[in-house]
Amino acid sequence: MKPVTTPAIEFRAVSKSFRRSFAGDKLPALSSVSFQVARGEVCAFLGPNGAGKSTSMNILMGFSYADSGEASVLGYLPGDLRAKERIGFLPENFAFYQHLDAEALLKFHLSLSGRKADNPSVLIADLLVKVKLDSYRGLKVRKYSRGMVQRLGIAQALLGDPELLVLDEPTSGLDPAGRKDVRDLIMALKAEGKTIFLSSHLLSEAEHICDRAIIIDQGKLIRAGDMHELLADGDRVEIVVDQLSEVLEQAVKLGGAFVHREANRTRIIGETAQKRALAEMLWTNGSDILSLAPIKTSLEEMFLKLVEKGGAE
Amino acid sequence: MKIRTVAHNSFGSFLHSKVHYAMGLLFLVFFLFGLFNVYSFKHMTTASNALQMQQHMMHDISNSIVLLYGLGNLLAAWAAADSIASEIKSGTILAVMARPLHRWQFLAGKYLAVLMLMSIYAMTVFGITYLLLSLGGQPFYISGWALVIYPLVRYAIWAAIAMFLGTFLNPIIVISIVAFLLSVIAFMSTPMAVNRIPAWIQMPLHVALPMTTVVLDESRFFNMTQAALHRYPWTDHLTALTYGIDYALVFFLLAIALFQRRSIACG
Repeated sequence: MKPVTTPAIEFRAVSKSFRRSFAGDKLPALSSVSFQVARGEVCAFLGPNGAGKSTSMNILMGFSYADSGEASVLGYLPGDLRAKERIGFLPENFAFYQHLDAEALLKFHLSLSGRKADNPSVLIADLLVKVKLDSYRGLKVRKYSRGMVQRLGIAQALLGDPELLVLDEPTSGLDPAGRKDVRDLIMALKAEGKTIFLSSHLLSEAEHICDRAIIIDQGKLIRAGDMHELLADGDRVEIVVDQLSEVLEQAVKLGGAFVHREANRTRIIGETAQKRALAEMLWTNGSDILSLAPIKTSLEEMFLKLVEKGGAE
Repeated sequence: MKIRTVAHNSFGSFLHSKVHYAMGLLFLVFFLFGLFNVYSFKHMTTASNALQMQQHMMHDISNSIVLLYGLGNLLAAWAAADSIASEIKSGTILAVMARPLHRWQFLAGKYLAVLMLMSIYAMTVFGITYLLLSLGGQPFYISGWALVIYPLVRYAIWAAIAMFLGTFLNPIIVISIVAFLLSVIAFMSTPMAVNRIPAWIQMPLHVALPMTTVVLDESRFFNMTQAALHRYPWTDHLTALTYGIDYALVFFLLAIALFQRRSIACG
């Protein structure tokens, strides 16, 4: 076994392009993408459609090969059996064998997973309870709704008691209650110390679940970092004061800040670079500062800003 | 163990395939065609034309059996090519290949499933042959094992060729290529082709195609009246079958080599 100091996932300058025609035209899907996912963290992999998320996931799982660069999973090359023994994977739009019921499908995956279970039937029954499909265990999977299939997909990903979970759109097709169940499940798995790498279009969920986010667009990495750092906008602060004279308000506005008066306090929003100057001006002119904090943006706002910026470039 | 799991699951898929049901229907038509001929000739047989009717009956039973064995070639090719293509198209392969499973193990499981299906098929055709001959009151000249093993080796060859082609071609194209090759082989066995096509064309075709006139001789079991198998020593059978298995193995290894490098993610 490789030492646990190696990252769970590592991409080093991975590039991949697809042949567009027999003439040899190539469409770049990934351009020198590098990132790491540490063990034990929950990391969101974000990007608009066609950004290269699925291509990255396919390379990561050993389903396709990078043209250049290196990738590793749990310290092994993608596709290495020693790594795959410890990975649970949920593909986007999980597909199933039409002729099987949930129990038979999970038994099939269990026997391929290599996990030695004392009582496979009990293990499968417990998993079906976990994803709330226990009352449908004997029903052919082709009769399942999209949400039920997705939950079954999550159950099969958990079968081998994996150390790393790679989830491609885990909440796709689920209703709000189902999404909450998956969110709770991911939080429980996180508490167990599992590494989770997930792609999602539901940014608000990713914001709540994930420790880190990696954002790609047009095959290029555009941002990666700790979720708190990403969400702290970085260029604006909010200062709340008890009172603000009109003269002082004019002075603040002249400096480029915005003022919002409320019933018993006033909020001033200014650039981070002016934070100290603003605070000193307010303090020396008699305003009592109640709080000073960086403005947090939502993941969605930040994502759209980055993607628009990338598109404009 | 993992190969067996894949094989068992794939065999289950085969039993639920609509294309296989359609082929089963065609199988039934060919069988009924043979059955109808047996009863027709039996009904028309009199003391004076018994020998002539027997020849006609044997000819028609042979035709039915040839059609049934021929259909087996197409079934083997389709099952092999489609078993991989349909998994890639539907995406079921992704969850399977995310398991600690080598690509060659996946392919071996699929191939084993095709052989399981074709074993049942060959035994069924053997049973039908026996049934038709018994109903027609004809003696059974041929060793039973040959009617199962020889077709099975032939199916193994076509399944391996189809699996190889199926790693980079659509199954419809694969089955078209297999049907074309089967037609060429059938044509090469006709007296017209044997007499008129020059040797320099015939020889390479005999070597390159899973040709039946050289070693895996179809006439050994198609032409039942000759009791042909009894004329060959066991070493001859061994050589013929080894050649067939070798042919299948080469294409199966080629399929593994190609499958190893290709992307299994659709789109």
